Amino acid sequence: MDSISISAASGMRARMESLELLANNLANVETGGYKADREFYSLYSSLDATADPLTGEITTLPVIEKHWTDFSQGDFHATGNQLDFAIDGGGLFGINTPRGVRYTRNGNFRIGTGGALTAADGSPVRALGGGQIVLQPGVAVEVLPDGSVQQGGVVSGQMELVSFDPATFNKAGVNYYAAAPGATAKPGTGTVVQGKLESSNVGAAESAVRLVAILRQFEMLQKAMLIGNDLNRAAIQEVAKVT
Amino acid sequence: MIRALYSAASGMTAQQLNIDNIANNLANANTAGYKTRRAQFQDLLYQNVVTPGSSAGQSTIIPSGLQLGLGTRASSNEIIFTQGSFSSTGNPLDLVIQGNGFFQIQQASGTTAYTRAGSFQLNATGTLVTANGNPLQPQITIPPTAQSITIATDGTVTYTLTGQIQAQNAGQITLANFQNPAGLNSIGQSLYLPTDASGDATIGTPGGTEGLGTLQQGYVEESNVSVVDEFINLITSQRAYEANSKVVKAADEMYQQVNNLKQ
Repeated sequence: MDSISISAASGMRARMESLELLANNLANVETGGYKADREFYSLYSSLDATADPLTGEITTLPVIEKHWTDFSQGDFHATGNQLDFAIDGGGLFGINTPRGVRYTRNGNFRIGTGGALTAADGSPVRALGGGQIVLQPGVAVEVLPDGSVQQGGVVSGQMELVSFDPATFNKAGVNYYAAAPGATAKPGTGTVVQGKLESSNVGAAESAVRLVAILRQFEMLQKAMLIGNDLNRAAIQEVAKVT
Repeated sequence: MIRALYSAASGMTAQQLNIDNIANNLANANTAGYKTRRAQFQDLLYQNVVTPGSSAGQSTIIPSGLQLGLGTRASSNEIIFTQGSFSSTGNPLDLVIQGNGFFQIQQASGTTAYTRAGSFQLNATGTLVTANGNPLQPQITIPPTAQSITIATDGTVTYTLTGQIQAQNAGQITLANFQNPAGLNSIGQSLYLPTDASGDATIGTPGGTEGLGTLQQGYVEESNVSVVDEFINLITSQRAYEANSKVVKAADEMYQQVNNLKQ
């Protein structure tokens, strides 16, 4: 293939992956605590690429090699449920899942069997130091901004709030994030807000604009590819014509 | 590309379920003792296209990879047990619980179900029963000659007989509470059954130290459905559905253009 077709094909593939990221964002527009994924375009140059002798440019192709997660704050909506929590600012709740410690921004907690404060899937919420927070049934729960859980003035425990360098943790599905091996947890900087849940930070209007942009860029690349094909066809059919 | 189609489809399915839930909440906006349910969603697994930490060259590693998510799914629709508002009926057998407790109802099968709906009536034998005829536990029987029935905030039921000043004791209403009320199983007719998630019922008298709440006679508890909130949820859910359908259309158009590359 000629370079126009290769570049255009590579760009089309990158836009398809952009659409996949956008489709997942929009599918999760109502997922509590969800953070949008954004693409990160970069240029691919093969290891044995040599510079063009005339211009000195190295042949590169647009690809999506990585994505980044937009950790901006989602809107809060009041639920009135005393076991709903949101984090205002940076940080994640720690959860002791059967697969190890996971982290989440979704503070839709409940009381599990035995009275432990748990996430929606029944895994206990981590207290500072890694333990559980055990609640008394029927007594109002009050949570202070630092994550301390109180019932009738008696402190039952303090929720663990941690933050990571964004490059060292990844989405693990079911609203969880998993830290990469060797990642160091820092104390979260945010405050805990009771009776509110954080909505997804996927903007519907912004996503609509992105959708149109991806679609039109794809269309332009498709046109570029057709032009490349036309040039090739002309080269084959016209230039090489023996009269 | 197929991933985009299926992610968008999962989003549409999730929003459909959200609207089913909203429809049920709105349909029960006037059901006494109904507790609203809220749908919760979670993201699905992620496909690693470029694994973070894999090597990009001999001396460099990729700091953050490319993970493509595969959509969403509904995880739960939990029951929100906030207090509903009280409306006055003047009926002495209408009771509300101001607090966290549940009335215990004996079902025809003999098992005990739990409810927040406290509109009771008397049956042919004078027993306090629900609108479906199932008796309240522990059973309270009022003789037909009783004049006025008084139910105190601590659940003591008394009545007076014609020509007598002394009130007669008819029994004591007790309430149940659960460690995790959101884990109760709804069986319709405003009744709930305990599950492993909710834990076993703790029985106590109203106004006690167990946090069961107190009784108020002559009121019914309205549902705690906020019609305004449900309408807002309906609008956002419908728009989210629409946005996901647009992604399906965009993916389809991109496919079409790929197919048109070959002329």
